[in-house]
Amino acid sequence: MSALPGTVPHRRSGRRVEAAVPLDISGAGRATAEAVRFLRECQSLGLRVRWRAAGTPSYDPLVLRHLPPPAELPGDPATLAAWRAEHTHGALHHRRGPDFVTVLDRRQRGTAVRLTLDHPGLLGTFLRLLEPTPVAALDPVEREALTLLAAERLVLAGGGWAVTLPPRLRQWPVPCTAI
Amino acid sequence: MRVHLVTMPWHPLDLPSLQLGLLRRIVRRARPGDEVTEFHGSLRWAEFLLEHSGGRLRPGDCVEVGSDAIFHGLGDWVFSGVLYDDPGWGTARLRDYAADRGVFIGTALAMRPYAAPFIDACAAEVLAAEPDVVGFTSTFMQNVPSLALARELKRRRPDLAVVLGGSNCDGPMGHALHRNHPFVDHVVRGEAEYAFPALLDHLAAGTAPLDVPGLCWWDGTVSRANTETRRTVAPADIPSPDYDQWQAALDASPVQEHIHPKLVVEGARGCWWGEKHHCTFCGLNGSAMVFRAKPGERLWAEIDRLVRRHRILDVVTVDNIIDMAYFRDFLPRVTASGWDLRLHYEVKSNLTPAQLALLGASGTVHIQPGIESLGSRVLDLMDKGVTGARNVRTLRECENHALTCSWNLLYGFPGECAEDYAPVIEQLPALVHLQPPSGAHRIQLERFSPHFTDPGLGFGKRRPAAMYQHVYDLPEDELADLVYLFDTEPAGIGGAVERRLKEAVAAWRAGHAHSRLLFEEDGGELLVHDRRHGRPRATHRFDGWRAAALRHLEDGRTVPALHRLLTAGGHAVPVADLEAWVRYAFGLGLLFRDGAAYVSLPTWGEPFRLPEGAG
Repeated sequence: MSALPGTVPHRRSGRRVEAAVPLDISGAGRATAEAVRFLRECQSLGLRVRWRAAGTPSYDPLVLRHLPPPAELPGDPATLAAWRAEHTHGALHHRRGPDFVTVLDRRQRGTAVRLTLDHPGLLGTFLRLLEPTPVAALDPVEREALTLLAAERLVLAGGGWAVTLPPRLRQWPVPCTAI
Repeated sequence: MRVHLVTMPWHPLDLPSLQLGLLRRIVRRARPGDEVTEFHGSLRWAEFLLEHSGGRLRPGDCVEVGSDAIFHGLGDWVFSGVLYDDPGWGTARLRDYAADRGVFIGTALAMRPYAAPFIDACAAEVLAAEPDVVGFTSTFMQNVPSLALARELKRRRPDLAVVLGGSNCDGPMGHALHRNHPFVDHVVRGEAEYAFPALLDHLAAGTAPLDVPGLCWWDGTVSRANTETRRTVAPADIPSPDYDQWQAALDASPVQEHIHPKLVVEGARGCWWGEKHHCTFCGLNGSAMVFRAKPGERLWAEIDRLVRRHRILDVVTVDNIIDMAYFRDFLPRVTASGWDLRLHYEVKSNLTPAQLALLGASGTVHIQPGIESLGSRVLDLMDKGVTGARNVRTLRECENHALTCSWNLLYGFPGECAEDYAPVIEQLPALVHLQPPSGAHRIQLERFSPHFTDPGLGFGKRRPAAMYQHVYDLPEDELADLVYLFDTEPAGIGGAVERRLKEAVAAWRAGHAHSRLLFEEDGGELLVHDRRHGRPRATHRFDGWRAAALRHLEDGRTVPALHRLLTAGGHAVPVADLEAWVRYAFGLGLLFRDGAAYVSLPTWGEPFRLPEGAG
């Protein structure tokens, strides 16, 4: 059984996971980065996750549209309704190849953006930020890459922390041709 | 010499042409002094439609007309008007044909006015490369588009050598294509690895190609067809394809925005099953059934090279059946790469759960196991070498390993009867949680199949399929040699049974998305959560020998065999009790019955399901 990050307390039963505490998605710092990683890894492993949100996103919540919507999003019913209506499994994901990563981004309805990251600086930063990382810990090359990745909405940066958004596709849906 | 290789519509837009990729390598290897260029006409056609229709005719429409309508000849028909210099040629016949069968032809009708200016533009572009030889590859509905361009090229440059090859040219089809189209100078029949360079040598030397096996050529006004060879191409002589020119064409194309490109590789030719037991309906291997496979290490080296070069992780294999050695020397290499590949492979349906698990682990998540039927007698009639129970097991294991399984349910086999289908149709509602077939389809008579070569098998009366009447302006005796599909008198089931089968498959497809039948272990108990369409939600609990029995039946067993296994496992169960429990579990729809064998239906895996075509 593949391990989920332990930084978010959770209960796992078979292919179902429940976060034990509300997850802060405000974008204010490490907690949001850890929440994103937890939800991203649940997606990657094909687990069905139940969670509650806390905090109001200080960023466009569309960037999280590929992650399963929370059961609760206090104070923002419109965002929650849109999230539930628009969420599609696999809408944003990445796949590893030799010295490159491909990204498919279908978070925006009616679009399918395909990117190939093969520039060493971009690729290295994308992979490093799979682990939530303080922006202050990045070197100048990584910071430049962070700017580019954040502009493509492949990384969420806020409160001094950054984390990669697209899950790695480890479990294909059926039919696999649907994504 | 300058050799220009051409692939015309309706080559799939998301795939490079394996044929061009191979031919380029073959010519470069045999004749290094030749200049080889390529024309990706299918891609050009999609671009042409996008531009000239103002975005109304899109790449998806090419799929509808060129790939989905293979059995109606729509793609060929779009270009027939150019071939026969008559924009209205065949239209009335097509309309009658479509009205009789309920076929949508609006997109094909919308495309046809663009065909003539497109061929005109193609001819200008091809001739701008100043080729000495133009070689067309033709598979499925590429015949008429290729012939239309070949005719125009010859009209503009009578000295040009026009060569046609590909699957559509195999056997008598190639000779018929040649003798009915004088603007085609040569037709290469069968594999081209040896024949095409040999022909180029003759063209360069100005000699008659008397010694090129299988080749069709003009002796004055007489179409000659050299005897075909029984010699097949050795795997060592099959090159690794070169897709550089395809990549360049794609990179420069607006069509790129509309498609998801994939790589195409070839591990093997022929069919190892067909060498022993030729499935009665299958003509796919043409005249070369002999199975030949590249070593797994070499196939992996080719994929490694192509993935690195093109930065593409989706790979389609064209093999008609996977080499079983690949489970030892190919798939473990794919798995060990750590790359997130997605492979498509045709396999035999009697794979073991461990083999299916390896497919999943390697990223070979799209398989085509040739299931064809769930009834053992019908499978016997087609000489498929597998039972209905085994096929159901394969479908179940596809759920366990999140494998996408493409399959058709075929019927219409001579000798089948209603009694062969009734027990299967009755059980289809219990299978609703497993991946359904694309539909229930009556088989068509294919050239090269046993049904075709042996009229005694039940299809004595045959004629070229009706669709060719709106594709070719040729007499029926010529069509009989030229085409691949034939109409026959219907065999096997019909009437009410046929209708019930189609309705049951339609219900399966409709109810599948929200249906689950899941195992769960709970301490010493085995739980089965039933969330299937058409049944009340239920959770069944089994323990002791009953739980053991349900697990043993995952492999498919008769009741006596199951009893022996339980006894050997320390479960002393009276036979009568076991029989009664099997009847009970069967009544709950937890087992599929195939003759005397039963197979468990619950799955351990629960893949994410998405609507078809969501991507």
